[in-house]
Amino acid sequence: MPPKTCALCENAKAILKRPKTGQQICKDCFFYVFETEVHNTITQANLFARGDRVAIGASGGKDSTVLAYVLKTLNERYHYGLHLFLLSIDEGITGYRDDSLETVKRNQQQYDMPLKILSYDELYGWTMDRIVSQIGKKNNCTFCGVFRRQALDRGAAALNVDHIVTGHNADDIAETVLMNIMRGDIARLGRCTSIVTQGEDTIKRSKPFKYAYEKEIVMYAYFKKLDYFSTECIYSPDAYRGHARTFLKDLEAARPSAIIDIIHSGEAFEIREEIKATQKIQQTCKRCGYMSSNDLCKACTLLEGLERGMASSGITDRARKKLDAEGPLPENLRTIPFYQPPSGNPNPTITIGS
Amino acid sequence: MVSESCGNPSVETEAIMSRRPKYDKSKFCIKCKLNSGAIIVRHAVYCKECFPALLSYKVKRILEPQINSKPELSRKKSLKASGNLSIGFSGGLGSTVLLDLISRIYLSHRTETKKEEGVTKPRGGKDHPRNEPVWKMVSVCYVEIASGFPGMSDKTQKIHQLLQENYESLEFIPIRLENAFDLSWWDKVGGKAALDANTDLTSDELFVSTAINSPDSDPVQKLRSYISALPTPTAIESAIHTLIRILLLYTARSTQSSHLLLGTSLTSISIKLISSISQGGGFSVREEAQEEWNPDSKGAVRLIRPLQEITLKECSMWAWWNDLLVVGKEKYPRGKDGIEALTKEFIIGLERDYPSTVSTIARTCAKLAPKVDAAGLCILCERPLQPGVQEWKSQISIRATKEPSPPSHSSDPSSVLHSLTSYLCYSCHTTLSSRSSKGVSRNSANTSLPLPVWASTHLQGLLVDVAITDMQPNLKEADEEIWLTHKVNPDEMKEAIGEFLLE
Repeated sequence: MPPKTCALCENAKAILKRPKTGQQICKDCFFYVFETEVHNTITQANLFARGDRVAIGASGGKDSTVLAYVLKTLNERYHYGLHLFLLSIDEGITGYRDDSLETVKRNQQQYDMPLKILSYDELYGWTMDRIVSQIGKKNNCTFCGVFRRQALDRGAAALNVDHIVTGHNADDIAETVLMNIMRGDIARLGRCTSIVTQGEDTIKRSKPFKYAYEKEIVMYAYFKKLDYFSTECIYSPDAYRGHARTFLKDLEAARPSAIIDIIHSGEAFEIREEIKATQKIQQTCKRCGYMSSNDLCKACTLLEGLERGMASSGITDRARKKLDAEGPLPENLRTIPFYQPPSGNPNPTITIGS
Repeated sequence: MVSESCGNPSVETEAIMSRRPKYDKSKFCIKCKLNSGAIIVRHAVYCKECFPALLSYKVKRILEPQINSKPELSRKKSLKASGNLSIGFSGGLGSTVLLDLISRIYLSHRTETKKEEGVTKPRGGKDHPRNEPVWKMVSVCYVEIASGFPGMSDKTQKIHQLLQENYESLEFIPIRLENAFDLSWWDKVGGKAALDANTDLTSDELFVSTAINSPDSDPVQKLRSYISALPTPTAIESAIHTLIRILLLYTARSTQSSHLLLGTSLTSISIKLISSISQGGGFSVREEAQEEWNPDSKGAVRLIRPLQEITLKECSMWAWWNDLLVVGKEKYPRGKDGIEALTKEFIIGLERDYPSTVSTIARTCAKLAPKVDAAGLCILCERPLQPGVQEWKSQISIRATKEPSPPSHSSDPSSVLHSLTSYLCYSCHTTLSSRSSKGVSRNSANTSLPLPVWASTHLQGLLVDVAITDMQPNLKEADEEIWLTHKVNPDEMKEAIGEFLLE
C-alpha cells in the first residue's frame, strides 16, 4: 500500500493517526493542531492577561511536563506576556514523588522557570506515609486530595501568583462528568467542566488541557522527546474512579470522539435553578481562613482528627460527633497557618527552591 | 501447594464472611407487614400481593400529572386527555409490561363488569359508565426494523397475533423502519412532499444534494443505504433509535393522540442517559425522560415513559408472575460494539456492586437543564438545537487547515449544494461525522446518506431558492429565522476594503 499523505497539509507523509479525530497526519501538522487547540482554549476562555504571574502545578508526570513545555512555547509564540513558575507538592510518599520531583527540577533548568516545592510535612506537619501509618490504607485519598488542593493554593500564595494552571486533560474531565452523574454529586457536576474555578478569595485555577486527549499528550511528549515519570500512587486506588476510567477507555475505543462528546454534554447542561438554591454557600474557615462550606474547612477537620488520634472524624458524621463529645480543642493543637490570599505584591515573599 | 495454616484467602473469604443481607430490616413485606417478602426493591421487601400496588403507584405518579393538557403536580381535576393514546410496543420486556399495566390501570375495567365473590356488580365510582375514559381511543404501534438488515426475521405477524389474543380492543398499527424514507407513508401521516435529499459523509460539512423525488424510489433501498453509509456501530444504533422515535411520534399524531407512551424502565433510562451524554446529547438530557414534541406546530404529542421509576428487575418479576409473553427484540449486527451496548454492560455490572446506581443516574439527570435557549430544532432528530455547536467543534478539534469544498461529483448544476451541519444538533452531527479506527467497513464506498422524509421536508423549508441564494448569500428568511452564510474569498474581501489599501 502506498504511504498515505497527511490529511491536513496534503503534502507530507502521514506518520500518525490522530487519537482525537482518527485522521492520519504528519508530525508537524500534529504539533500545529495540538498547540493551536490549546491556544484556542486559552484565548476563547480569556484565561490570561498580559503580565499575569502563572504557576504551573507540576508533578513531573506527563500532563504537567507537556503543559509546562506548551505554555512556554505559546507564551513566546503568541506573546502572552506571562511570568511562568513551577509549583510542586511533595506529599511525602516514599518512592512516589522522588523521581518525579527530579523531573520537575530538570524542567526548571530546561525551561528557565522558578520552582517552588511545598511539602505536606512543612504545611501540615504530617507526611502521607505517617497518615497512612495512623489511619490505614482506607480513605486516605480523602486526606491526600483535600491537603493537595489547599497546598497548591498556599504554594501559589507564597509565590504571589495570580493563577494556577493544572494538567487536567480531557480524559480526566470526561471521567469526572460520568462519575459525578453516577454518584449524584450535583455540586461537582455543575462545576467540573468549567475551565476556570475561582472563589471570592482563592487563586484562579484553570485547565488549559481541558480538551487535550491523554493519548495526544503522550504522543506530543514522545515526538518532542520530553521525559516524564509515570507513577501510580502506592496507596489505595479509587475503585469507583477506576471503573469509570475503564468504561471511558471502552467508549473511546468504540468512538474516539466520545471523550470530547462527554465534555460537550457536560458544558451544555447546568443544575436547575430551584436545585441550586438548596446548595450550601461558600464561606471561610474560622481556623485557617481558607474557603469552606462549613465553619471549619475540610483540611482543618482532617488535621484535627489526625492530631487527636481520631482520623475518621473528618470522614464520617458519627465520628465527628464523637470527637466533639470529647471536649473542646486542646490549646497546643497543631493547626494550619492562616491563609493569606496573594496581595498583588509583585515580589515573591519566599525564596524559590532550587 | 497452599499450606493449611495460611489457607487460601480467595476461597476462605467467601466461607468466613457472612453475606450482608440484601434487605434492611425484616424479611416481611414493608407494606402489609404480614406476608413474607417475595421481591427486594432497593433494600425494601414486598410480598406478591402488595407488589402490583407498588407498580401501579409508580406508573400513576409519572403519568397522571401529565395527562391533562396542562401538566399539574397535585391533581384535583379529573383525568381527561385532550386526544387519543398511542403506545409504542417493541416486543421487549419494558413495553410488554407497560402495555399490561396501562391496560389494567386505565382500560380493562371499562370493558368488564366487576365480579366480587361470584356476584356481578355494576361499575361505580371512578369506573362508573357516566365517567368518560381518560383516552377515547388507544392504539399500539410497532416498528419493524427487519428490512434494514438482511437476514433478520420479521415479527409483525407474531406481534399482531399476540395483541389480538390479549388486547382485542386496541388498534394495532404496524410501522416499518423504511417508512422513514417512504413518501406515501409521509403523505398518510400528513407530511408535505419534499425533494429527495442526500448528504455526503466524506466531509464534516455534510454537503447536501437535492433532486426531484422519483416516486418509484425504493424506501427499503434507501434505508439500507442510510445504514450502510453510517460510519460507526454507535451511529447505526443511535440513528435507528431516532428513526423509530420519530416514526412513532408522527404516527401518534396521525391518530390524533395527545400522548405517546414508551416502556423505558428505570434501568433502560439510566443506560440511555449515560449513552446519550457519551454521544454529546447533554443539551437534550431532559428529552430523554419526557418530551413535548411539536416540530411544525400542527399539534403536540407528549412522549412519556411511565416505567421510568421501575427497574428492569421489577419488570421481569411482573412479567413472570403474570405469565406475560415477551416476544423479544432482534439485535442488529455489530450492535455490541456500539456505545449504547457498552454502556448497558457497564451500568448493569455497576448496579451489582452499587445497587442504587441506576436511580442515582436518573435522579441526577432530572436535576439538569440546558444552559442556553435552543436555536430551533434539529432536522434529523427534531430535538432542540444548541446554538454555536460548529464553532465549538472547530476550535477544540481542528479537522481541516484548509477550507472544505463541496465534493466534485456533485458539481452537477441541477443539484443544490448546502452544508447540513448548521441544521443538526451536536449528537446527530457526531453520529454522521465521527469516525472510528474500528469503524464499519467503508469498502462499500457508500458515503451518500439519504435523508429521512421529515428531514428533507424541514430542509426544503429552510433553504431558500437557489437563484436567490446565489445572488444574496446572506439573505435572512423572514419566517424561518435562518441565515445562509458563505465563505468570503480574498478577492471579495479586497473589493470591500479596496479603497483603504494603498497598493
